[in-house]
Amino acid sequence: MKKKVLTTIMAAVIAATALAGCGSGAQTGGGDDGAASANVPTEPFGDTVKYDPSVAINDGKDITVELWEWGSDELFQQVIDGYQAIHPNVTIKLVNNPWEDYWTKLPLALDGENGPAIFNVHNSYHENLINYLAPLDIPLEDLEADFTGVEAHVIDGKVYYIDYGMMTGSVYYNKDMWEAAGLTENDIPKTWDEMREVAKKLTIKDGDRLVQAGLNFNDDFHQNYLLGLNYQLGDNLFQEDGRTPNVNTDNMKKIMQMLVDMYEVDGVGSKDFGEKGADSFGQGQSAMVIQWGHYYNTLNTTWTDINFGVFEIPTFDGEPYAYNRYNGESTFGINKNAPAEQQAVAQDFVKYFLANDEAQIAFNMAMSTFPAKKSLADNEQVMQNPSLSILADHIDHYIWPGPMPSTMETSLKKAGQDVFFNGVDIDTALNEAQESIIRDMKSSTFESVESLYKYAK
Amino acid sequence: MFKKSHPLQSKSEIILRDIVVVAMVLFFSVFLIIPIGIAFAGSFHEWNPLSGTYRFLGLENYKEVIVNPLFWKSLWNTIIFSVVVIIFRVGLGLAIAYAIYSALIKYKSFFRSVFYMPVVTPMVAVAFVWKFMYNPQIGTINQMFGLDVNWLMNPKTALAAVIVMTIWKDFGYAVVMYMAGLYSLPADALEAAKVDGANAWQNFRYITLPLLKSMTLFVVITSIISYIQAYVQILIMTEGGPGTATYLSSYIIYDEAFVKYNFGYASALSFVLFIITAIFTWLSFRVSGNEE
Amino acid sequence: MSAGCRKGMVINMRRKIFGIVLNVILVVLGLVTVYPFIWMLFSSFKENKEIMALEQHLLPSAFTVDNYINMNARFNFMRFFANSLLVTIVVTLAVVYTSTLCGFVLSKYKFKGRNILFGFVLSTMMIPWCVTIIPKYSMIQSFGWLDSYKALIIPAMFSGFGIFNMKQHIATLPDEILEAARIDGANEFFIFHRIIFPMAKNGISSIAIFQFLWTWEDYLWPYLVINTKEKQLLAVGLKMFSGQYSTDYGALFAATAISIIPVLLIYIIFQKQFIAGVASAAVKG
Repeated sequence: MKKKVLTTIMAAVIAATALAGCGSGAQTGGGDDGAASANVPTEPFGDTVKYDPSVAINDGKDITVELWEWGSDELFQQVIDGYQAIHPNVTIKLVNNPWEDYWTKLPLALDGENGPAIFNVHNSYHENLINYLAPLDIPLEDLEADFTGVEAHVIDGKVYYIDYGMMTGSVYYNKDMWEAAGLTENDIPKTWDEMREVAKKLTIKDGDRLVQAGLNFNDDFHQNYLLGLNYQLGDNLFQEDGRTPNVNTDNMKKIMQMLVDMYEVDGVGSKDFGEKGADSFGQGQSAMVIQWGHYYNTLNTTWTDINFGVFEIPTFDGEPYAYNRYNGESTFGINKNAPAEQQAVAQDFVKYFLANDEAQIAFNMAMSTFPAKKSLADNEQVMQNPSLSILADHIDHYIWPGPMPSTMETSLKKAGQDVFFNGVDIDTALNEAQESIIRDMKSSTFESVESLYKYAK
Repeated sequence: MFKKSHPLQSKSEIILRDIVVVAMVLFFSVFLIIPIGIAFAGSFHEWNPLSGTYRFLGLENYKEVIVNPLFWKSLWNTIIFSVVVIIFRVGLGLAIAYAIYSALIKYKSFFRSVFYMPVVTPMVAVAFVWKFMYNPQIGTINQMFGLDVNWLMNPKTALAAVIVMTIWKDFGYAVVMYMAGLYSLPADALEAAKVDGANAWQNFRYITLPLLKSMTLFVVITSIISYIQAYVQILIMTEGGPGTATYLSSYIIYDEAFVKYNFGYASALSFVLFIITAIFTWLSFRVSGNEE
Repeated sequence: MSAGCRKGMVINMRRKIFGIVLNVILVVLGLVTVYPFIWMLFSSFKENKEIMALEQHLLPSAFTVDNYINMNARFNFMRFFANSLLVTIVVTLAVVYTSTLCGFVLSKYKFKGRNILFGFVLSTMMIPWCVTIIPKYSMIQSFGWLDSYKALIIPAMFSGFGIFNMKQHIATLPDEILEAARIDGANEFFIFHRIIFPMAKNGISSIAIFQFLWTWEDYLWPYLVINTKEKQLLAVGLKMFSGQYSTDYGALFAATAISIIPVLLIYIIFQKQFIAGVASAAVKG
């Protein structure tokens, strides 16, 4: 009896769910102004990797696949709409999860039978995903011909995903403060010594109290300084075996010491001034921050009042081994446990995405990443974005260490917090970071690809 | 005592009894006993569902729990956190409930509702709001009192800040529990005390408080169980920082299980924590001298 | 006589002053309790820029309802809300029923192994989530219940806490009524549904409020087992406002403001029965 009631309730729920689902679906459909359907390509397009729209998918029969992602739905929907216009029999259903949840749920979903056929990949979670990925069925040479950095993604002769864009850190400065301090374009620093001098000029104090920080690296020093500046000094993040971290070196200590000195000797900022450097810059409290490409979009959407400029990260001596670390924004992954016909759609969709310049530009602009597609390196739209144009000259002088386990970041963050807040000395803090990274990486299969750097020693 | 209240068992009683007993045993076996068994077995293995590893390690995971200084530190933090929050929860809860209960306060139901508001608000949201209030530059707390403290990043204040937030969120629960306790007190005991000329404090200390003992025990035990498992506030407000200053044991388990996917190690940690919970619960029963 | 009268007046005065002081203290404490909510409510009408701005004012300088529109447009928030309400109500009803039934059998029937069973139920309350959640997840997965409300409802149908409370509560009901009904020829099903259930009203209210609150607030489990956005619940939905690089605070606050309402309403409506129910369960336990 009770069961019957329950079943009835459940049935009602399902009916309600279905109804509401239709409603919202219709809404999204209506929202699209049909731009995608305006011109449906019929001729093959692309550089070396070509996409031929005339080939029917799934023999023209209806099929639905899921695409999981964490970012902006509109961006993905745009590409999906373009694809569905060519293949009306294919329905690609977007499933959005917030960033953190995505990484808890996706691996668990892929472990089951009904995981999504296509999913957005971030290489920091490489190890959680690699066992579920199917290799791309595009010839390796073709990918290498069209995209930079493909070599680093080769595993036993196969490629599972590549980068569509490269992101790295640059210096963002507040132009109004810059002017107010009497600085000009010529004062843009090239070295860290110059940078520190400029930062001092940009600092405003009221007695002992900081009013405006010249430079702020709170909450992101590990990302934007500790894991990158080592390359300028010629150190890799991993030792030659590609597995042992290299974070308690003299050079790393030097970098940490520089950070401490900038706050405590130069007084250009404070650990307690602005919880996050990025927010503090947006609030108009700090004159300079080093941030990665995504910050360009944050400034343009959240902090619209800030009149900012961008310049390339300074170096120690003008001739760095490499300027900084970069990280790739990855192309989609394909679920190897998905049914064969779904995988075929997924493969085709990825090919469409790679061959389609419009999609490539849209994704790179949305993330403020430098396009990995070689033919787009001097694209007009790309050059108009200052956070990208400043990278153009040295883009081959940036290193990708491979999909580092997140413990690299969390352990160095902990080390930095220990130094700044808990009074631990630099040597101890970095030694502890080294140990905890080794412990966390015990069962990891990560191997650094720093040796694939173009100018590797 | 009426040992055999109804020795004749009817047919329907036997049917109902059997249905209930079978359903209970079945349910708790499937959703509790079997999972516990799997987790217990897993705690002796290197178990990572993503790489598909399931390799026997013997006591290795437990050894690692014991030698990991961070675990002991987090355990110490958990104990401080739990004890302080429980003391304030019980103290504030009792005081406020008694005040509302007294004849001196009008609008009783209004106050009961106000203090219960934080209890019904999801922790995720509350933690975000408080993180804002603790912000050194734009936070309400520094601005209101003209302070300049980096509450969540100073190792001296970070845990305390999380504790204060948790007390704020949870004391209303104790208020309502004690209200319930007070309303169910036998009126004649209180009347008798008044006639005896006991003053308000004596009245409270020697009559009311002992009568509320079992409610206190109830609040303390449900608190122990829930605080030893607390992690959401840490996840959102400090991520264990600065450094490792605010690591709580459950946060390590969450981190190991759902960030690093070390299911085996996380299971071992869980069992150690379970044993500690059990000991503390038993202790509070002992201290209160309650048998049930 | 007059001295006694004055003494009475002094006591009366003292009492009055004490009453005022007590009221003031409670109001202050109430303000402290409510302030974060007021701040959150006002912030939900601010733009994100203003929420994060250096210059902080309680009242929004540029009043906007965009957050409320956004949260529904971008996150389909009312959908989460309806989902949560549904799952929470079903689970609460199930738990109330099973707890009352088990509580009845455990308190009013004498049989072998009863105390062992009860002790076992008690001990289930002490097991931390972290011990069972990993295997429970694998089990749900192998049952094929992932991404369905079965995964949320079925494993929550019995509650150790609920059974414990209802057992304590029903034990306080007099046996004589049951005996009388039995003599009248009522069977046990009738007795349970028609006599015990209405009499256990207060206990049921308290279980209902606890269970409603817990299910409403539960985060980790629904987050693990529900994948499709259309099926997701509110507590999980709240976290959707924090993205890879930034958090949409305005929408988060707007969503929170709305999510508190139903639980608060349920509490306000049932608080009398709730308090009476808690009292009978815990005090006499």
